[in-house]
Amino acid sequence: MTGFAYLVALLVSIGAMTLIDARWRLAFWRSPVASAIAIGAGTVLLVVWDLAGIEFGVFFRGDSPWATGVLLAPELPLEEPVFLAFLCYLSLVAVLGVERVLERRGAVRGAEAPDASDLQTPGRSTDAATRPDGRHA
Amino acid sequence: MTYSLIAVPFLAVAIVLSLATTRTLPAAARRRRWAATGLAAAALLVLTAVFDSVMIAAGLFAYADGTRLGPVVGLAPVEDFAYPIAAVLLVPAVWTLARRRGARARVMRTQRDDD
Repeated sequence: MTGFAYLVALLVSIGAMTLIDARWRLAFWRSPVASAIAIGAGTVLLVVWDLAGIEFGVFFRGDSPWATGVLLAPELPLEEPVFLAFLCYLSLVAVLGVERVLERRGAVRGAEAPDASDLQTPGRSTDAATRPDGRHA
Repeated sequence: MTYSLIAVPFLAVAIVLSLATTRTLPAAARRRRWAATGLAAAALLVLTAVFDSVMIAAGLFAYADGTRLGPVVGLAPVEDFAYPIAAVLLVPAVWTLARRRGARARVMRTQRDDD
């Protein structure tokens, strides 16, 4: 049963990240398709990086009691792409979150106008955050 | 040495894509993106030092002898810190590009609908 500890910890962390994302509408709750593409691309790059490391014999799977032991490829555990996807999601939420804070501070000071790219035409946006019916794609 | 050399092409892809994307942003948005990237990277590096060490201590993965430069933070080899740096550069860049593409497609669709 402890074999699922790492995987469950990762899924709980991803769940917590989605709560932050939903609460402040930062990534999937703002541009769902772009978020999926970005996290997908990042995860693929990092998995290929991992596979290169495995190929060159840099690292290998440990014999941890906390891992399921399920392998997707030699020395590549099931948990690894989940971890890498979490790292990508965390990176995206962190950058977009700090951007939001900086933007708000700028707006309060009145020092800078909001970006043209973030100005939405009412009724034409497909961003969930600004859609009138409030439903998500 | 091996591990650090493996990181080079992946870091290069992330850096080039990030630079190419931020160049296309308006000045204010570009300044904000770099400030946010710096702050997020700092947070990610601290988290990596802590949790990479925890994951190595838990025996989730191990490293072969003679493939690393040597320096570690906690238990985490310095090369591992290239992962969060690549992620924090690449993922927001792809997000910005994908979002812009979506916006352009929407505008074209709307224009067609208006005809």
